[in-house]
Order: sequence, then C-alpha cells, then structure tokens
Amino acid sequence: MKKQEEQITGRLHSIETMGLVDGPGIRTIFFLQGCPLRCLYCHNPDTQDLNGGRIITPAEILQLSNRYKPYQGDDGGVTFSGGEPLLHGEFLAETVKLLKENDFNVCIDTSGYGQKEYYSQIFPYVDTILLDVKAFSEQAYLDMCFVKQKPLIDFMNQLEDYGFHGQIWVRHVMVPGYTDNKKSMQELIQTIEPIQHLVERLEILPYHTMGKDKYEELNMPYLLENVDPMDKEKAKEFEVYANVLLAEQMSKDRLDLKEKQDDENYRLESNISFKEQNKIIESFTDLPLLRNLDPKILNNIQNQLIVKKLDKEEFLFQSGDDPNYMYIIYSGAIKIYNVLPNMKEQIFYIYRKDDFVGGHNLLSDSKYWYTGEALMDTVVIAIPATIFNTYFSNKKSVLKEILSQSFARIRWAEDLINRLATLNSSVKTAGLILRLAENFGIKKNGQIQVPMEFDRAEMSNFSGLTRDSLTRKLGEFEELGYIHIENEILTILNFDALESYLD
Amino acid sequence: MNNDFMAERNKAWQGFKPGNWSETIDTRDFIQKNYKPYTGTDSFLEEPTENTKYLWNKVSELIQDEVRNKTVTVDLTRFSGIDKFDAGYIDKDKEIIVGLQTDEPMKRMMNPYGGFRMVKGSLKAYNLEIDPKMEEHFTEFRKTHNDGVFDAYTDEMRRVRTVGLLTGLPDAYGRGRIIGDYRRVALYGIDYLIQERIKDKKNLTGNATEEIIRKREEFSEQIRALQAMKSMAAKYGFDIGRPAYNAQEAVQWLYFGYLAAIKENNGAAMSLGKNTTFLDIYIQRDLDNGTLTEKEAQELIDQFVIKLRLVRHLRTPEYDELFAGDPTWVTESIGGMGEDGRTLVTKTAFRFLHTLTNLDTSPEPNMTVLWSNDLPRGFKDYCAKISIQTDSIQYENDDLLRPIYGDDCAIACCVSAMQVGKQMQFFGARANLGKALLYALNGGIDEIKKDKQGNLIQVLEGIEKNTEEILTYDQVVADFKKVMDKLANIYVNTMNTIHYMHDKYAYEAGQMALHDPEVHIFMAFGIAGISIVADSLSAIKYAKVRPIRDENGITMDFEIEGDFPKFGNDDDRVDNIAQDVSQYFMDALRKTPAYRNAEHTLSLLTITSNVTYGKKTGATPDGRKKGEPFAPGANPMHGRDESGALASLNSVAKLKYEGCCQDGISNTFSIIPGSLGKNGEERINNLVNILDGYFKQDAFHINVNVLERALLIDAMNHPEKYPNLTIRVSGYAVRFNQLDREQQEDVLARTFHEAL
Repeated sequence: MKKQEEQITGRLHSIETMGLVDGPGIRTIFFLQGCPLRCLYCHNPDTQDLNGGRIITPAEILQLSNRYKPYQGDDGGVTFSGGEPLLHGEFLAETVKLLKENDFNVCIDTSGYGQKEYYSQIFPYVDTILLDVKAFSEQAYLDMCFVKQKPLIDFMNQLEDYGFHGQIWVRHVMVPGYTDNKKSMQELIQTIEPIQHLVERLEILPYHTMGKDKYEELNMPYLLENVDPMDKEKAKEFEVYANVLLAEQMSKDRLDLKEKQDDENYRLESNISFKEQNKIIESFTDLPLLRNLDPKILNNIQNQLIVKKLDKEEFLFQSGDDPNYMYIIYSGAIKIYNVLPNMKEQIFYIYRKDDFVGGHNLLSDSKYWYTGEALMDTVVIAIPATIFNTYFSNKKSVLKEILSQSFARIRWAEDLINRLATLNSSVKTAGLILRLAENFGIKKNGQIQVPMEFDRAEMSNFSGLTRDSLTRKLGEFEELGYIHIENEILTILNFDALESYLD
Repeated sequence: MNNDFMAERNKAWQGFKPGNWSETIDTRDFIQKNYKPYTGTDSFLEEPTENTKYLWNKVSELIQDEVRNKTVTVDLTRFSGIDKFDAGYIDKDKEIIVGLQTDEPMKRMMNPYGGFRMVKGSLKAYNLEIDPKMEEHFTEFRKTHNDGVFDAYTDEMRRVRTVGLLTGLPDAYGRGRIIGDYRRVALYGIDYLIQERIKDKKNLTGNATEEIIRKREEFSEQIRALQAMKSMAAKYGFDIGRPAYNAQEAVQWLYFGYLAAIKENNGAAMSLGKNTTFLDIYIQRDLDNGTLTEKEAQELIDQFVIKLRLVRHLRTPEYDELFAGDPTWVTESIGGMGEDGRTLVTKTAFRFLHTLTNLDTSPEPNMTVLWSNDLPRGFKDYCAKISIQTDSIQYENDDLLRPIYGDDCAIACCVSAMQVGKQMQFFGARANLGKALLYALNGGIDEIKKDKQGNLIQVLEGIEKNTEEILTYDQVVADFKKVMDKLANIYVNTMNTIHYMHDKYAYEAGQMALHDPEVHIFMAFGIAGISIVADSLSAIKYAKVRPIRDENGITMDFEIEGDFPKFGNDDDRVDNIAQDVSQYFMDALRKTPAYRNAEHTLSLLTITSNVTYGKKTGATPDGRKKGEPFAPGANPMHGRDESGALASLNSVAKLKYEGCCQDGISNTFSIIPGSLGKNGEERINNLVNILDGYFKQDAFHINVNVLERALLIDAMNHPEKYPNLTIRVSGYAVRFNQLDREQQEDVLARTFHEAL
C-alpha cells in the first residue's frame, strides 16, 4: 500500500460564528479541543479532554472562515479558543499561516501553555492575543488551575522573540474570595509588566455559574459549588482600577526612558576644519533663508555658525533635548523619528538638502519630541539659539521664510508625532481626545465638552488608528467613565485618567 | 392653462430645477433633479418643541388607555369614506400638521365594504352596536367584497381555507399593500392631477371591451376620489387644489393624500411609501431661504409622525390573532442609493428616524431602512444606534431592490417592494407548506380538522397515502411536488377570485388616483413553514424517520433516529432544500394565469401568524410536535442553529430573492446587548458589520432586536412598567404589551443570540 503523506489535523470542539466579545470586531471562533489547565471556574469543561471533538484540517478552517468574511469589517477575523489552542501547535502553525495568506485577522485566546516548539511559526501571523492571566503567584496558579505559573511568565517574556508584533488583550476571570481585591489588581499589573507595552485592553471578567450544568452532564465534580457569581458592577470597578494602574505604570516607564535620554545630551561642536567650514557657509549665503539679511550681519554671524559632519546613524538631537540650534541640512539626510513604548522606531520625516529643522522649537522654546539621526553621512549647519534669537527671530523676512518653508513641515511632523508616537491605542485615543479638547473644547459646568466636528473616519486618521479600533476605544473610555458621548458632544469626565496615559 | 395655475406653479416651484417632472407627472425626476444627499452624522438633530411634547403626551395617553382598557371608540353613526367626517384635532392651536381619520383622535371608522361581518364581529367584540337602520340599509342595498368572493368560491377553495392550508386571505377585509404616490399631491396639487386623469380617460379609445369599460369606470371613480380629497382638506382650511408652497404645506399636502387613503380603506397594510428625500427638498429650500429653522423642520416631521401613530382600523379579535398588536404597517422606506450612485439619504431621513428618540419608541410608522453597502457611514451608524436603542427598525437590501425596481421603490407592509405610483400588488397571504407536506404523507387528508359529522376531510384529490415504515426521500418529495402543484393551482384561482371581487366592491379609488394610469400589478403569494419543510425533508433524507399513524393511517407523530442537517447552520445539504422547495412552489404558481395579467411573486413571511399556523398543524417529520409554533418568516426553527447567529443568517441569505422569493424573505434577529459588544460604540460597529455582511451575501431582510431576555420576562409580568416597549417581529414592530401571552412566550422561546 502506498503510504499517504500524513495530513495535519486538529481537534475541533465547536464553532461560534458570531463572536463579538472575544477579540476585536466580529470574529469566527474555533474552539479547539483539549486543555492542560483545570481551572476551578472553567465554563467549558467539555473542551478539556484532548481526545474529544472532531478532526478538522487547516483547509476546512479556511473554508469555514471564508463563509464569515463578509461580516468581519475593518478589524474582525478569526479567533482560536478552546481548550488551549496552543496545544495544537503544528495544526495552528499551518492554519494561521493559511489564514494570513488569505488576509484574515487572526486572534488566539490562550493561557500561555502549549507546544513551544511551534510558537515561532505561529506568532508572526497573530494579530491579537487574548491572554488569560488566571492568578498572580506560583501557589495561586496551582490552587486555581493545577499548573505552575512559570510557563506563563516565560511565555510573556519570550513572546516578541517568537516574532509576535501584534496587540494583547489581557483578561482575568475574577472569582469572589480569590482576586476581588485591590492588592490582586496591583499584582496583576506587576505580573503583566513584561508585555504591558503591547496591552491594548485589560478586562476583568466576572465569574459566572453558567457552565455548572456541564459538570453534571460530564459527571465531574464542581469545586466552586459554594461560590456565588461575581458581582458585575464590582468587577467593573476593579477593571477601572486595574486600567488606571496600568496606564500609570506605563507612563512612569516612559518618563524613565526620557530621563535616560536627557542625561546623554551633549553640546554640539564642529568637527571639520575651519577652512572647509567657511567654504560651506559661504556657499550657503544664497539660501532663501539668508538672502534678505544685511550682508554685514551675515558676515558677522558667519563665524558663529557651526558646521557639523555626522556619520551614518549619528544623532543630531534626541527626543527631550532643549532646542539649542536651528539646523540646515547641507548634504545627506536626517531622519526624524521617535521610539515607541514597545521600543520600535517610528519615522515621521526625512529632511534633505536645504531643509531646516528646529526653528519652531527655538521660537516656541519647546523641547524636541523626536530624535534626529543621520541616515547617511550628512553635513548640517547649526545656527545657535543666541544668533537665531538676535538676528533671525525678529526679522520678518527670515521668519516668513521659516514659516512658509519649515513651519508647515515641522507642524506636520509634530502632528504626526502626537498621533503616531505610540502603538498603544489607549494612548493614541487619549491623546486625540486631549488634543481635540485643547483646540475645540468648551468649558461648561466645570467640564470640558468637545463638539465632535469630525466623523469617526476623520478622527481615526488623526489618531493613526483604524476606525473600528478608535470607536471601540472611545466606547471603552465611556465604559470606564472617562468620557461621555451624547448627541455628538464628547464630555471629558476624568481628565486625569486620560492624561495618565500620556507623559 | 390659465394664469392662476401658472402663478401658483411659479410660486410653488420657485428655486427648483425644472425637468421632465415640470412637464408631466414624474415625482422621481423631481427628486433626482433637486435633492441634496447628506453624508454626515446625526449631530445636527434637534429636540422636540414644547408643542410637540404636549401633543405626544396627549396622544400617548390615549394609546395607553386603549391598550390598558382593551376598549375602542367607534363612530357608529356613519361609514368610512374620504370626505365623510368633519375636521378633527388633538389640540388645534398646537398642531402644525392636521388631519384625523374621524373627528376625534383614536375614534375608529366602520368600513363595511370589505365585508359587513367583519364590522359586526368587531363591534360585538367590544360590546358595541351599530344603528339597526344603518345595518338594514347597508346590507339591503350594498353588496360587499366578502359577499362577492363567497358567491364565486368553489368547494375546493372553501376547503383549503377551512382547514388552514391557505390562511389570512384578504377575502373579508381590505387587501391593502397599495401605496399611493402621496408626494404628487404636494408637488402638483389636486387640480392638475384631476385634469391629467380626465385626459387619461379621454385617451382610452377603442371598443368597449370588459377591460376598457372597467378602466373607464375606475378613472371616473379616481376623479371623484380626488375631488373628495380636496373637499376633505378644505374642511381643515386648506386648498390642496394647488401645489404646496413651502415645507409645512408639503408635509401637510402629502399627509392629506395619505389620510384620504386611510379614510377610504382599511387594508391590512396601509403603507406610506418613500418620502423623506422628497420632503427634504422642500425643507432644505426653506432652510436656505431662512424661513425655517432646524428646530421647526424637526417639529414638522415629529408632528407628521404623531399623526401616523394615530392611524387606527376596526379589527376583529380573530384578525388580531393573525396580526398581533393592532398593526397598520404605515411603512416608510428610508435611505437607499440612487441609480446614479448618489445616496438618497438626506437630513430628513435622520429627522424621520429621530422621531423614535423625540417621541419615544413606537411600532408605527414601520421604519424601514433600505440598506446598501454604499450608504454613508454616518447614516449606517445612526441606524444601528437607533436599532439598539429602540428595536424599531427593519432593514431591506437596497442593492437587491434597485436593479429590479429602480431607486424610487418603497416597501408595502413588511417586505413587499414596488415602484411608487407605478406598481401595486394583490396581497395574497400565504400557504402553509408545513401542512402541505403532511398532505403528501396523508393522501391529501387533513391531519387535524374533521367535518361537522366528525369525518376526515379529503382536501386534495389524487394524492396517494404514504404507507412506508421508514419514509424515503424520493417518495415523499414526489408526493409533495404533487401536493404543491395542486395547491398552487387552487391558490392562484382563489386569489384571482378575491381580487376580482375586491376591484369590484372595494376599489381603492383614492390610492389608485395617485398612480400612473397604467399600473404594473404583482400577485403576491406566500409560504409559511419553510424551515419546517426543509428540516423535515432533511430528516427524511439524512436520518431515519418512522411515522406513527392513527387507525385511519394518518400521521400523528414521528420517531427520528440519528442526526440530520438543520436549516440555520449554513449547511448546504439542508439550505438547498429550502431554496429548491421555494423555487418549485414559485414555478408551480406561475403555471396558472393571474387576474389582470398580474406578475406572480412569492414571499417567505408569516407576520405573527407563525403561532396560529403551528396550532393548526400536526406533528411534522422534523420532530416538531403537533400545535407547536412555526418559526416566523424564513427564520430557522428556534434552538436548531448550533453554530451561532451568523451561520443562521448565512442560511437565510441563501434563499433567492430575484425571480424566486421576490415578494420578500423575512428574518428576525434578536440579540442581547452584552453579546453584541462590550460597550455602546462597539455594539454600533458590530451591528453595522453584521448588516453589511448579511446584505453583501444578497440576503433580503432583517428585523433587529437588541434586548435582554430578562427584560421581556419582566414586561410580560409587569406590562404597566413598559408601556412603550417595542420589539420587531416578522416584518413589523409591535408594542410588547399588545401581544397575547402565547405570542409573548413564542417571542421569548425564539433563539436569543447570547455569548457566554
């Protein structure tokens, strides 16, 4: 008999075609069979046994998913839940790749326990992880789920090494008498510290008893027999509390990073020969910027200008620097970017020959929000603040030039920074609201009201989020009691909470 | 044309862009040349004025009183008609839109033309009595539609009606489902419409065939009806002989046109059409002129809608059993896209839906959004928001409608589309195919009903009794097709009889006067129980079904061994059966010609009668027990969808609209708020995506309810706490406290989609 190549398969417990609360948007949920945990409150005990369910292939998953694609909108997609989907490592690796090739948004609902050897084949294709954090100590894990906590900690620490570059929704099921206290919420925030920069949403799910009947059917003991369902309102309060804690912790970490950068500030010194410098400056006097300056003044300042040569990847200035110079690029290119909370780099603009940067910062005496770094070997002319303030800032023609040529660009870059400087949609949305409040807000009855002059699509462009993510986040802020939206007027109820997302 | 006429026109049409519409009657052309699409959000909307609030409170009290006391007020001194009543007001000084069916709000009319027994029965149910003289004179001198029908019914027709194989036929009451183009009254004024119809009549040349004679008579009746409209409006102090000069008049004139229709007729569904884009042109012109504010514009629409909520007809309790909650189907179609790609959504579409916020939720008017993938996002979001808040909107697929009916079509009743003023339908209720399937097993004998002597009733001849121990698919299907062939023939002939008599004895002259002289007619047939038939045939095909028969060999129950695919799980094996059966029945209907060369169409719609149909139908091979309710419309049977709501929607979406179920496929979708999304914004997003996804797959219709099951249970036990709680049932909305207990329980039993 000819040996058939073995088909990769998984075990499917059931499908929910309209999953609206398990991941962003509308999702087709595949519940895979089998779980290594035995959580006391598990409401799907029928999914625990690894040998149950029906055999399913990646192709079947794709075929079924395609049936529901029309409903998935901007950010809906497919969710693998269970059971523990990561127990089906090989199957999942094959399946998520196939789904990604077919343009599906992929979400995995996991406790972080599974077949590690497949993680690096799975996580590059995953957009969202719903991460179930069950408890906050080694012992509590054993008590609640009969497994150790360490695998989860390892999972969190190594997630980005597996190639994960998506977002995480952290979820915790709150059981009365177990974690319904503030201390537990603090521990929760500490526990998720390694992944906090990826957290897009933090949910406290109140324990319910709707799975109880299944235990009887399966002839299994129900160990939480005497525990009442968790009060939904209380759970909501803890959720708000935990979210504020998380925002504060993230904000603190960003401040630390900034201080570190501030320490590394340095004064600019010319690093090319005087002769060469003069040659460059002379050839530069026909710049539009300098054309209308009195030749005497020009002559006077020439020797105070600094010409600096930067090697590739050398910093011109860094985020948080005070504005000490206005820079004119003589040759090469400078990239303007920021480091996001997840340590990724976001480029906003690339300045080339004859572009200026820093004029606005000098005028407004505002620190750089961003970093300038040489993309290649580059020569810049730096106009020191004293010169700028003496000769430039009061000269209408110069100002006009700066305004027309560089302001628009710098403004644009700064706008972009505000919108894009972070991956986290909470920060983006909070930033957007505060920015709108600053520009359009009206104080009324001690509160700030913002008429929503923009529709959701426009607002999402402003904030650098998809429309659905933005509306979801606005809804979440409303739930958390930060804002209230009615009749297209946004009222800020908790200014501090929004600010705590930002520096 | 005299000078006055031209002067009036110039005044009325000032600022409008001319076109074919200014040369001849062409409302669509007027709209296309003059409307302004709106793609923004709901932020401009205004709250109700003090006068509006006062009026609505007063009307709301009257409505609640009626529901609480289960009484009605009836004018017992005269019969219905366009111009038979004096002017009536809620509170004259506060009303900016006026006009009532009778001289008092909520006072119902006696309309005997459909059938006198209906009037008598209704009065009796409320312990009211007509003046014996009136009854004597009317019955002596005037024959009714109902009398005519029964003069011409065959024994066979009576039989299928008695056993409930065909039910809800409009043979004792007004057929409804005709939409006059009420906009014409505002745009052209009655005088011009009369003048044109006189011309139409003159143009009817040739031999006096039956057809020509009938047409001439109808045109004469239409002209008289137009004159009556003018006289009726004059009682309120308005001259609708001329066109409307401003927004207030446009709303008022249009409403007078509609008011004439509901004074003249008591059709089951008296729908309004598609008016918001039209009215927006007038409102926008006044706003631009500075003669109207947004607040005043909203006031016009609010007060118009208050009037629409007051529409009442005198019905019997049996009628309410079929159509629960006293619905009138004042269906207004809102939104959609134009053929040129511009959206037909205007600010007035928002203003109309906004009445659900300004005036509480309400079943009427029947808010029907024509959904297109291309609708502006602001409008989609707003619809979803209002759906979630009020459960009062139904959606129909504009992208399916437009290619067939063009962009000036409206929905009559629940799901019946027609071009306004150019097409109409002969309403035909529905055939109980669940029962028909049992006839295929029982040799055409009814499984429940016996005659007066207690004998079995042989309803259809020539069907052989199935004697198989285990039912085989091929045998059952072959017999079922025979039943459908016979039933289809009887059905068409019955409908021909009904509509012939309706034309003769209860002709809707006022509504037809607001149509073109040549009207395309649909004859609308229907199926009840499609999901039961599909599941039953699937059970027979994929499981083992053993009938349990009584001593006469009639099936009493079925034993099912094994599992089988069920409609509502996006499983082609059974979904295709549902489609095939619908298509077969449609094709069978087409074989018998329809009266007045009408075009046969078919709907999958039950309204609330799914409970009644169930009661009258024996156990079915899908495991449904005798007397248990059917699923409403094209819904899967409750509890049988195992993979969640979208699988269920996908199954329904497979049923074909164009050329098959082109009179509509109704689906009702209920979900609890917590399952629709974690927060308000998310729910709106998700609902928009669900609607987009469903309609992108060529599904036709959906009712959306977003509510807690616990809330309904509480409302069932404490109706006084929820006077306005409105929910969508098959094709319309209803006040929950107006359903009887059985119907309420049926609503509760239906699948509520909830996530753990």
